[in-house]
Amino acid sequence: MTTELILFFSLALIAIITGLGLLISKNAIYAALYLVLNFFTIAIFYLLLGGAFIAMAQVSVYAGAIMVLFLFVIMILGAEKLGKSNTVAWQRPVAIILSIILLIEAGYVLFWRTAPVQAAQTLPDGFGGPASIGNVLLNNYLLPFEITSVLLLVAMIGAIVLTHKQKTDKEV
Amino acid sequence: MFGSINTSMILAILPEIMLFILAGFVFVFDLVWDDSQRRNLGWISAGGFSLIIMISLMLGTPGSDSGLVWGGMLRHDWLGFAFKMLFLFGATITALFAMDVEDLGKKGEFYLLLIFSTLGMTLMASSSNLIMLYLSIEATSLPLYILAGFFKDDDKSTEAGFKYFLFGAMASAIMLYGFSLLYGFSGTTDLDAIAGVIKAGGMNPVLLVGTLLMILVGFGFKISAVPFHFWAPDVYEGAPTVVAGFLSTASKAAGFTVLIRVLLTSYAPASDTWMMVLAIISTLTMTLGNTLALAQKNIKRLLAYSSIAHAGYILIGVVAISELGITGSIFYIIVYLITNLAAFGIVSVVGRITGSDEISAYDGLSRRSPWLGLAMLVVFLSLAGMPPFGGFIVKVLVLASAVKAKLFWLAFVGILNSIIGLYYYLIVLKHVYLYRSENEQVEIPVTRPYAIGLIVLTIGIILLGVVISPWFNVSTIAAKVLF
Amino acid sequence: MIPTTYYIVLSALLFTIGALGVLIRRNAIIIFMAIELMLNAANLAFVAFTRMYGIIDGQVFVFFVMTVAAAEVAVGLALIVAIFRTKHNIDIDQLNNLKG
Repeated sequence: MTTELILFFSLALIAIITGLGLLISKNAIYAALYLVLNFFTIAIFYLLLGGAFIAMAQVSVYAGAIMVLFLFVIMILGAEKLGKSNTVAWQRPVAIILSIILLIEAGYVLFWRTAPVQAAQTLPDGFGGPASIGNVLLNNYLLPFEITSVLLLVAMIGAIVLTHKQKTDKEV
Repeated sequence: MFGSINTSMILAILPEIMLFILAGFVFVFDLVWDDSQRRNLGWISAGGFSLIIMISLMLGTPGSDSGLVWGGMLRHDWLGFAFKMLFLFGATITALFAMDVEDLGKKGEFYLLLIFSTLGMTLMASSSNLIMLYLSIEATSLPLYILAGFFKDDDKSTEAGFKYFLFGAMASAIMLYGFSLLYGFSGTTDLDAIAGVIKAGGMNPVLLVGTLLMILVGFGFKISAVPFHFWAPDVYEGAPTVVAGFLSTASKAAGFTVLIRVLLTSYAPASDTWMMVLAIISTLTMTLGNTLALAQKNIKRLLAYSSIAHAGYILIGVVAISELGITGSIFYIIVYLITNLAAFGIVSVVGRITGSDEISAYDGLSRRSPWLGLAMLVVFLSLAGMPPFGGFIVKVLVLASAVKAKLFWLAFVGILNSIIGLYYYLIVLKHVYLYRSENEQVEIPVTRPYAIGLIVLTIGIILLGVVISPWFNVSTIAAKVLF
Repeated sequence: MIPTTYYIVLSALLFTIGALGVLIRRNAIIIFMAIELMLNAANLAFVAFTRMYGIIDGQVFVFFVMTVAAAEVAVGLALIVAIFRTKHNIDIDQLNNLKG
């Protein structure tokens, strides 16, 4: 049991526990905080996997921007106190059965049909750093990069269109 | 990369560049004009789209070499190009129809979202890389979520937008996971390279089916195939009617484009595996769409279930995995786009004047407005598959391709479903022509842009059924790319 | 070296938890958070595969997915706020104006 394996399993445990916390938490703010913790854990996984830039992006975009937006909206809507969360009676067991089936299949496929895949032993220098990603981004993936600008513009327009309160003559 | 941008690459994305410029124009004019003039943004958008179609046809048609451009992201071929022109045409008509809708036609944001969604669709049509595919699917869907919920003070519209968003986000998350497994087990994000890996047997068949099913969740959502169709009736009913028209035609056609491309490029070596799955989906989709349409009292929901059924018919052509089958599907998509846009256009104007979307509101339409009644006759008979309209020819084509591929049971199911479909289309026409209502003398005014749009569409439906060869040739050239 | 398989299993587990969340929960915001968890599971799979192949393309895909997720969150939360304004309730079982 090398330190890496111990590190991996403890982080994996934290990731799964926080995921389950999101699943069963009755309070929306706790659920959001569990998710933030989950994102941090995944960011550390990215560091382990040699994706330094992506780890930074995960922390600043996901945990930093997206979750903050979620928390804002939860606060604005006052949704932190949820009512009795009894779901429709038949949905819960069906969902759990389906997920168990899914997991069994995933485990079967991955463990018994294929040998565990080993990672490439050596990585090129600066792999996962901003320079290597930027290089590929602006050479091969130039067109998708430009399209993301459209996507973000659409998101801005949408957010304003859907929530902008027009001053009508009826309102004083 | 910057040093190696040459003319062929620019010409390959000529429609997209021009769409950007059009968006810029709409932005500027929306800023400069005041409320009374803002309706003209519709003319600018519609005129801009038509101009883009003409310039692309002159300058940007793909040659006989269908090469990868922009670092392997896009493939400039006739399949993509034909669909691009189709999407632009659909957007033109939608802009024309929307010009006089309250709260929609005067908002610059509507036209902008329409332009950006069309931009995403044109990119979807020629994507040849998983990354470009995912981005363009999202770039198409995001404006559509907003457009569905555009009437933010209307209960139904916000609910429709939200339901569409929730289903769409979940379907695309599942699809993305499928993409990740596909990338992981084949080592590349390029669609053709993945085909190479599958052909060389580099992928476990269980994994193949698994990733295919997950990707089909995403695509099935966009084409509203069973069992991913649950969003369609609610969203079509709640969204603004012109938006529902655009959703049910252009967005569905875009979904079919990527479905055809991915299945027949990447998964082509494994076609025996997915043929049966897709055939079952097609059967369920046709049957469910037709049977549930029988019980509808609201015409938008009826049209929603009818479009679900038509997605099933189009899938018959894809299941046949032959050149005739894909030709039939592409031709069907063209006819379906024109017909359904006209249907929703008529519903939009009648709904606005009578204030109701129930079928009973159409009683005596033929007496109130004979031309609208006639348009409705043409549209619904074409949807039912009656000659001499476009709907007949394309149904024959897809059923013929199924027979040719020895899928006799599928063709039989298709014919049965067409008969069921005929029933509910004729019921609506019965309301239009045979029933009377007290409002018979109240006229239904149509404005000029709307009239232009509807006339173009109606003539198109008749034309596609009578003068078949130009459209058939285009569909054949587009289908040849895949074989 | 940690085998890539372990990462894929973890990603499958997280994806399943997210999918369960979408199916079981009724609060619209929590459903949306579960969808984000699903997206992250896919991202983890991508980065793990990138490590395996040693080619950076998977991480670029993750970069794009993050951008898309950010845009989606903006639009989705705007839609939720719009619904809340008309219904004062974000329980999805109450969204039944459009049934039947």
